[in-house]
Amino acid sequence: MTSSNTLPPVHQYEEEEYSRGRAIANWLKGQYALYILVAILLVATITKGAVFWSGTNLTNLLLQMSIIGVVTLAELIVVLTGGIDISVGSALGLAAVLAAGLFGGPSVLLALVVALAVGGVVGAVNGWLVAFRGLEPFIVTLGMLALARGLVYAYGNGIPITPKAAGTFSDLGQTTILGLPVLAIIWLVMVLLIGFLLSRTVWGRRVYAVGSNKEAAQSSGIPVRATLWSVYILAGLLVGLGGWMFLCRFGSGTSTAGNLLELEAIAAVVIGGARLSGGYGTVFGTVVGTIIFAVIANLLSLLNVSTFLQDAFRGALILVAVTLATVQLKRKKTIDSPQPATK
Amino acid sequence: MQQIEEVAGQLPRGEIAFRAEGVKKHYPGVRALDGVDLEGYAGEVVAVCGANGAGKSTFAKLLAGVDTPTDGEIRVTGYPHAIRNAAEAEQAGVLMMHQEPLIIDDFTVGENVWLYKLRQGRDIRPWATKVDTNSEETRRVLRDIGLGHLRTSQLARDLGPGQRQMLSLSRALVTDHKIMILDETTASTSEEHFNDILDLVKREKAAGTCIMFVSHRLNEVFAMSDRIVVLRNGRLVDVVAAADSDPDHITTLMIGEALKALARPAPAQTEGKTPVISVRDVYGGAARGVSLDVAPGEIVGLYGLVGSGRSSVARTITGQRSAASGTIAVQGEAVHLTSPRAALSKRIAYLTEDRRLEGFVKDFDNGENMTLVVLPRMAKAGVVDAPREKSRVRELIQEFQVKGGPKTFTRTLSGGNQQKVVVAKWLEADPDLVVLDEPTKGIDVGARANIYETIHALAARGKAVLVVSSEAEELLSLCHRILVMRNGRIVKEFDPEHADTDDLIRTALTHQD
Repeated sequence: MTSSNTLPPVHQYEEEEYSRGRAIANWLKGQYALYILVAILLVATITKGAVFWSGTNLTNLLLQMSIIGVVTLAELIVVLTGGIDISVGSALGLAAVLAAGLFGGPSVLLALVVALAVGGVVGAVNGWLVAFRGLEPFIVTLGMLALARGLVYAYGNGIPITPKAAGTFSDLGQTTILGLPVLAIIWLVMVLLIGFLLSRTVWGRRVYAVGSNKEAAQSSGIPVRATLWSVYILAGLLVGLGGWMFLCRFGSGTSTAGNLLELEAIAAVVIGGARLSGGYGTVFGTVVGTIIFAVIANLLSLLNVSTFLQDAFRGALILVAVTLATVQLKRKKTIDSPQPATK
Repeated sequence: MQQIEEVAGQLPRGEIAFRAEGVKKHYPGVRALDGVDLEGYAGEVVAVCGANGAGKSTFAKLLAGVDTPTDGEIRVTGYPHAIRNAAEAEQAGVLMMHQEPLIIDDFTVGENVWLYKLRQGRDIRPWATKVDTNSEETRRVLRDIGLGHLRTSQLARDLGPGQRQMLSLSRALVTDHKIMILDETTASTSEEHFNDILDLVKREKAAGTCIMFVSHRLNEVFAMSDRIVVLRNGRLVDVVAAADSDPDHITTLMIGEALKALARPAPAQTEGKTPVISVRDVYGGAARGVSLDVAPGEIVGLYGLVGSGRSSVARTITGQRSAASGTIAVQGEAVHLTSPRAALSKRIAYLTEDRRLEGFVKDFDNGENMTLVVLPRMAKAGVVDAPREKSRVRELIQEFQVKGGPKTFTRTLSGGNQQKVVVAKWLEADPDLVVLDEPTKGIDVGARANIYETIHALAARGKAVLVVSSEAEELLSLCHRILVMRNGRIVKEFDPEHADTDDLIRTALTHQD
């Protein structure tokens, strides 16, 4: 540019040369979910250290986390677009019972195909209504929640459905590779996959752009509706996978499979630092959120706390974490310019 | 004009309304303000001028308590301690008029006038009756602000941008305040509203209010203010009386050296070339039967008042909205532009008027925003080539002189720098036709020159450029041809060599079909 002589000197920008140590320190500042996790682990070590860190308990913990972990990932990508999916629990239940009952459930692989298909269809319907009909994600998935749960009850008449090859399923659920349960490995693979998609691909960048500012994404030529639809379909597939994992872990599809799972999934995503209005959130935070909930449930069982009180604890934790998140956001907001008050 | 000079000639009088001492404001990596001392007096208009990121908006925000200073303090006369937050500033009598008007879309015009009455914390009696929003007083207030033709029961969402700004200004007439801040308030209003603002300011002055006017438009600064404060890189450079100064002097102070006059664009060779875009009899939005051609290497200006259909034309030919009827041909081939994506595939880029809403993604850093349009090109099988993206972003930041690094959030930059990021984003897509809607809205002289030169360089490279603007002067110095719109039609074409501001405004206001 030839205009350099007509312009004020470009201000020297200081942020560029951060040292690695400072970068890490900066990153740690925002990771309040991690601190909650560390605190909970400390409490666990102090109160029930020997039992908590035992091999059986850790395996058990991993198994508990895996299913909910896959569902939370589904919730995360939907939340990133500024949407919400409260039908994940019901869809998981539907995928589980249909995978167990359709064709009699002769093989694990066939069940996987069925579960993915069911999840994919549910996600595609949700996504189509949200992306192409412009409906509110909350209302769409609320309808889907009731619809899918109703179908689950109708299909099994309230009786658990056991596939023919129930033994194979349970065996798979208990298999470990190098000490890690297969289900946990599936979860980890999904974590890496979604992490890669979100941070390294064009698709991931589009998801964040759509969630942060739909208008800007639209006028920048991003296929907003197709991106939204693909997000819901992928979320559906993950939920279907979760349903199949449920079958592997418990050997049968119960009519309450995945009941209230949506609450835990949303809570884990929020505790992980994602913003419900979209555009902000990470896979790492979501994984930490998932672990927090699983560890709490595990610890409370070890401490013989009644299941009713366990729910109360979990609820209280959500409130604490959300409050912490606002404290952090407030500090950030001083950098932003004030947003005009719309709606 | 006579009257205005007389007002500007008055000397600062009255007592101190606010005093800022050693005010500093540091954001991560940026020193927005670096020790500013300033006093404001009752009954005067003090204008704050400066280039992009000089710190003028930051200062306004600190005075209004929206932000707290890193160091130093601001005291308002009559308030016991320094201002720490927006509620305290309001109690102390500071009224802030934001660049983006604070209007609640679902409230009526009348309710919006009285909006601040809702937030008065002292009166929390639940049985307190609300203000009558259709009273004689409401209607008087609207008349005074030049909105007398609106119904008080009309919804605010139906108003145009200029009317929204005036509506938010109407609150100045119904609140008690000692200090009024106009932060780029004239940026989204066009010339027709300026007289109403001037009247308001005069009335406020007479009532003893201290008015702080933050603006890029120097002619308005001179029409309005008594004293002019110039900031540069977060420091106060000089305070001058408006009567003893002129725009050239202020410009020199703002950027540190004299700005060279913008050269006319090299004449375009359009003979015998296929127009990049050829619009015939297009209807859509406020546009009613518009026909125009833009040839390669040509810069065409589209001038008109707010609501004349100039933005509708821009949005229709860039796929932001569908044309109701008529034909659009790109490179001689008829096209149907149903979405921005379709327009982009025909190599048409559109820089929107509303930068905050449609220009960039607020959670993205500069790098991510700059590559938003061309990202698929920087990817293999959908996976972004990160090193390639990073090095390209560095080049772009250098080339467009963006203040801030690749990892700085675009939303934290000043308006001019945000616009540079948006320009870089679109030019990266290498479009054949670039449509710019109000490209210098809310941008100071230094960055303006930068953007004008970019536009000239585009034309020199054989691109077609269509500039939509409400500033006649800008188009006269920038374009090869200027089309003036009125009531949805193009009523006249001007050659900038043989036209002046007066011709354009007169045609836009009064041309008879």
